[in-house]
Order: sequence, then C-alpha cells, then structure tokens
Amino acid sequence: MSLLELKKIWLVVLIALCSCGRNERMDALYAQRCINCHGPSGRGDGPVAASLPVRLTDFRETVERKSVSQIRRAITEGLGMMPAFAPALRPSEISDLVYMVRFLSREGRNIHWWERFDALVVAHCNIPWEAVFDYDQPQEEKKR
Amino acid sequence: MSSLFRITGSALTCALFIVGFSTVSPGAAPHDAQHGNTAQRSEVRIPIGQFSLTDQSGRRFELASIKGKIILVDFAYTTCPDVCPLMTAAMRTVQTNLNATEREKVYLLTVTTDPEIDIPKVLAAYAKRYHADLTNWAFLTGDPSSLSEVWKRFGVKVVRRARGLVDHTPLTAVIDQSGAMRFAYHGGAPDPKVILRDIRSLVRTP
Repeated sequence: MSLLELKKIWLVVLIALCSCGRNERMDALYAQRCINCHGPSGRGDGPVAASLPVRLTDFRETVERKSVSQIRRAITEGLGMMPAFAPALRPSEISDLVYMVRFLSREGRNIHWWERFDALVVAHCNIPWEAVFDYDQPQEEKKR
Repeated sequence: MSSLFRITGSALTCALFIVGFSTVSPGAAPHDAQHGNTAQRSEVRIPIGQFSLTDQSGRRFELASIKGKIILVDFAYTTCPDVCPLMTAAMRTVQTNLNATEREKVYLLTVTTDPEIDIPKVLAAYAKRYHADLTNWAFLTGDPSSLSEVWKRFGVKVVRRARGLVDHTPLTAVIDQSGAMRFAYHGGAPDPKVILRDIRSLVRTP
C-alpha cells in the first residue's frame, strides 16, 4: 500500500463524510420534483396539494412505517397521481430523494434509534467503493 | 489491504457518528412554477386540421380516425411534478361522468409535451395509474418534429428544463365535430363540470 493509495482512500472517505446527511443536492432535487405537492417540510401542503382530489399524507406520520425499498418503489413507479420518476431520474437521484423523504419525516418528532443510521447508509452509498478497492480493474493489471 | 479496510471502515463509522447528523443545509427555495387553481375558460374557433401520432400501445393514431367526434384534449407529461396530474385527473372525471350516449360521441386525447421520456410504454403505465378507459381515450406521443407541429396548432409552448422536467402551456381544450377548437381552458385545474357542460352543449348540436 503506497502513500498515494492511502491518500486516495482518505480523500474518498473525506468526500463521503462531507456528503453524508441531508445536503444541498437533495434539497434542490426535492424542490424541483416534490415540493409542489408535498410542501417544503413534507407535510403535504405544497401549492398544488390543495387542488388535488386526494389528501396528501404528512411524511412524519407515514414514512416511519415504510422501508427504504417501499419509498423507492413509490418514487420510481409512482403512486396514484404521483408521477413515476424512474424514466426521468438517475438511480443516485432516486436514492437522494428516498433519503430526503426520510430526513424530512424525522423533523419535529422523536426518532427511533435505527433511523439514526440513515446518514451512514447515505455516506456508504456515496463512496465509490469500486474505485477505492480497484474492483473495476482486471486481475492482471492489479498484479502489475 | 484488508486490515487497512478495517481501520478505514472503523474510522469512517466513528466519524460519521460524530458529524453525520449535523450536516443539514438550509431549506430549499420554493418552486417558481405558476399554479392556477382554476383554469381560464375561453371560447374560440380555431381549425386544428389533421395530425398523426403514436398512441400508448405503439400504434399509429390518425386524428381522422375519430372524425366527427367531439374531442377533449390536454397537453401533459407523465413525470410532471406540477399541474399535469390535476389536468389528467380532470380528464378522468369528465370521462367517468359521460353517459353511454355521450361516450360514443366524445373522445379524449392526452398529448405529451415530453417525448424524450413519454414513450408508449410509459404512457400506458400512466394511463393505467389513472384508471383511464382506453376505449375512448388515447395517450399520444411521437417524434419531436411531429409533436411540435401539433403543439403549435394548439398554441402550446414547450420548454425543456431538464430530463423529465418541462415548462409548457397548461392547456385543456374541446374540439367540435367539425375539427375546430371551440373551448380552451388555460390553467392547472380545469373544472370538469364546466368542461362537461361545454361538451354537452356540442353534443346537443347536430
């Protein structure tokens, strides 16, 4: 392990640390795709919500009981009048929205101990592990 | 390498516990889209002419194939985070409130404003989510040049902002039996009752 490789790993970890938790990218994406209906705090009070024939739920009441995959499915496949965002967004953007929804759902309520791990999961997802450990390089090249 | 991985992993975990939950950025700026709670209704008489697009099952759709029918048309796209869901919901309400006789005389069209995303498969899924009865409702897409010609005829302006994000004129319109646009509703939430009243006024006309 050379010093250069060591520096590379710590740089990646540092970037991951900086990007964990709720970040501006998530905020921008949420503002672009969700805020009109779900509102700035995820309470279902966006400017379009009042005109919808259905009452939007408050993230704080519902997301707690949903798994990451359930939230992801709602965002990718749509739910009733909610658009299916899979054709429009990259998987990383979908992940950002999933965690944004979870972060919003925690505001103003007591959170469970397992919900504290969200930031860790986000950080883990942000680390390009294949680059850190050279997964993408053929074995021959690694030996050289 | 593996020991380094363990050390790195532990350091990362500890560091995240310390700083991970405090990196909350300020709230996002509100969306700048305009939301008309009620659509502006206007009576017009604009000949639309013929056009040919592709429907949600991938088949060619000729406007001439529904010649003589009253057509309720709206312009929307499936990944719209704004008013398109309201427009499609209004279309659905109109469709469900048509009686059997009216259903034979009225046809509904949803024309996409985002052909990049709205391929027939995506439109079919969208129609299914809204429980659209496809016996008298078609969701149309096509190549950008054909679509822009159709948008132009209806006076719909379309500006692409990002992938799956489009600014467009929120138009719902009624075309009479002769192929002329007679009623236009500009805005995000057209009133289905008003649309039904206008459609029925045309149904009564021989």
